[in-house]
Amino acid sequence: MSDRLFISDADLHGLAGDLIGAGTEVVAPVATDICQSPSAIAATACTLDGSKVDIDYRALASADEMDLSRGLPQLSLKGYFLPEHEALCRWKQRGITVEVEDVPTEFAPRVVLAAKPCDSAALAVVDQVMNWDYEDELWNGRREATTIVNLTCPMIDDSCFCTAVATGPDDVKGADGLLTPVDGGYVFEPATDKGRALAEAHKARFSSHVEADTLGRQADDERAAARSRVAANLEIDAASVRAWIDTHFEDPLLSQLAIRCNGCGACASVCPTCHCFDIVDEEEGVGRGTRRRCWDTCQAPTFTLHASGHNPRDDQHVRYRQRINHKFAIYPLKFGEVLCTGCGRCTRVCHAGQDLIEILQAIDIAARRPGDATAEPEEAAS
Amino acid sequence: MNIYQPLLTTVTEMVDETVDTRTLRLEFQDEAVRSGFDFKAGQFGEYSVFGAGESTFCIASPPTRDGYIECSFKSVGKVTIALREVNKGDTVGFRGPYGNWFPVDDWKGKDVVFVAGGIGLAPVRCVIWNVLDRRDEFGDVTIVYGARSVDDLVYKRELEDWGARSDVKMVTTVDPGGQTEDWAGEVGYVTPVVEKTAPKADNAVAVLCGPPIVVKLTLPVLGQLGFADDAIFTTLENRMKCGLGKCGRCNIGPVYVCKDGPVFTAAQMKELPPEF
Repeated sequence: MSDRLFISDADLHGLAGDLIGAGTEVVAPVATDICQSPSAIAATACTLDGSKVDIDYRALASADEMDLSRGLPQLSLKGYFLPEHEALCRWKQRGITVEVEDVPTEFAPRVVLAAKPCDSAALAVVDQVMNWDYEDELWNGRREATTIVNLTCPMIDDSCFCTAVATGPDDVKGADGLLTPVDGGYVFEPATDKGRALAEAHKARFSSHVEADTLGRQADDERAAARSRVAANLEIDAASVRAWIDTHFEDPLLSQLAIRCNGCGACASVCPTCHCFDIVDEEEGVGRGTRRRCWDTCQAPTFTLHASGHNPRDDQHVRYRQRINHKFAIYPLKFGEVLCTGCGRCTRVCHAGQDLIEILQAIDIAARRPGDATAEPEEAAS
Repeated sequence: MNIYQPLLTTVTEMVDETVDTRTLRLEFQDEAVRSGFDFKAGQFGEYSVFGAGESTFCIASPPTRDGYIECSFKSVGKVTIALREVNKGDTVGFRGPYGNWFPVDDWKGKDVVFVAGGIGLAPVRCVIWNVLDRRDEFGDVTIVYGARSVDDLVYKRELEDWGARSDVKMVTTVDPGGQTEDWAGEVGYVTPVVEKTAPKADNAVAVLCGPPIVVKLTLPVLGQLGFADDAIFTTLENRMKCGLGKCGRCNIGPVYVCKDGPVFTAAQMKELPPEF
């Protein structure tokens, strides 16, 4: 592939430095030892051996902060496109007159380096609902202003399952290019015009095209190895899982699978595809304030509570069923793809031990069970 | 202006329907919006009091009345209590119209039967006036409306107007025990009164809206009277925030009430998973 370029580790840091120097916000994984944090809350999370490293996507103050050797950041990239809370409009009231002020829908350019492929893929998935008839300019504005460069995952753990949900640890879905670690640096493969423009604007940082030589082969091997490492974690038949969920709304299996869930909603916060939100007014003194949208979760009992007191999802297993349904049946029905990119954060963060890999395996097994209406035909014996 | 930004309206009239239910008439402050605003019977909007937030109600006035919209609400939550505190001349925010509508144009030449319970008359009232404003396009019009008590009947003046018209068959009922001494209407729950009124189903459609129990019990009665499932229309409500298919809370299985609804036929309702 003649489109492939090589960039040394020093030049990648140099590229980040150039961008920061030019005033562009650069977001990348940053590792912090929270035991060094002055925050009392952080200190409580510090383990007895005196070291606990948090990885986060952060806007870099300097290129040295970027850490490309680690696993998944705690939170996905979602917050850079759908902030935890953001202004939708501002109002000022004087007597009976109200003035509503727009919020900007154009954003300064931003570059994300070393994004996890599951995080960029999630943005492409959520693009669909954000443009379902009505275009969400706030989401789209940030998407357009951002160039995302993925990094083939250097670390894959037991909770990763991206390859089971139609993406992968070396995918460029939702991103503008891909870096794959090779000896001395990275092979860069641009995937969009934005990605090509980034390389073009910083030509000096990239060396000549990588042909199918040692480095090219090394990148291919690295990508294939990452894919097979994830694939070993989970293999499901997505179509039959979806068909089973579609046709088994009241199946007791779904309530059994929800049994450990106590509805804290942490899974939705860390999920790169969960995009449900609340809209609230925040008064900022007399006669003025901001209407905001805030992350919300379908796991909260108040999420669907009617003013009358009636609640269509009045029990936790019903709310968990909604989570599974929305991700693996409803979203695919509306938009043709699952609302999950297999990052596994929900499993890692769950204090009750809900494991999405286990849950999908259980549904996959149920879907293949003989006698089940939606089961796959038995494999031919001969 | 992004899709979540409200239009500004001025409260021009207020009517107390019951002790806790009020109707507001709202006029768009922007001249261009006022003359250009259009919607269809059954659509809804997000109404807001700045500082309290937004709440979802149907547009209770008919699209055949230009220049204003109306909403009727019961004061039960933060926003509806704040809405009750606004006065004539105050500003209320509005986003909409959203959702689908009653296919009134497809009903030309047919009889139309309206069945409503309690505040469920609000979305039906929009359709009733829409039909009555175009009266000669439709066949017989029957309205069966019930509430818990005489005090709980909403749109009382309009109930009288409809009752006085010779081209409308109006039946008003209150639950047993809810009648006053001079009550001249029916006494009984909506469902048996519909059964007794027995509107003919031939070349007719029915519009049904009310508390879940009224809808649940009346559907089979309309069926027995001969109404096909696709000739019975209702409007569902679920908690909403955006009204635009994004915030993720109004879905019943794969059906988004805000975008696929709020108007559904009985046939469509029977396809929904049991979660509403």
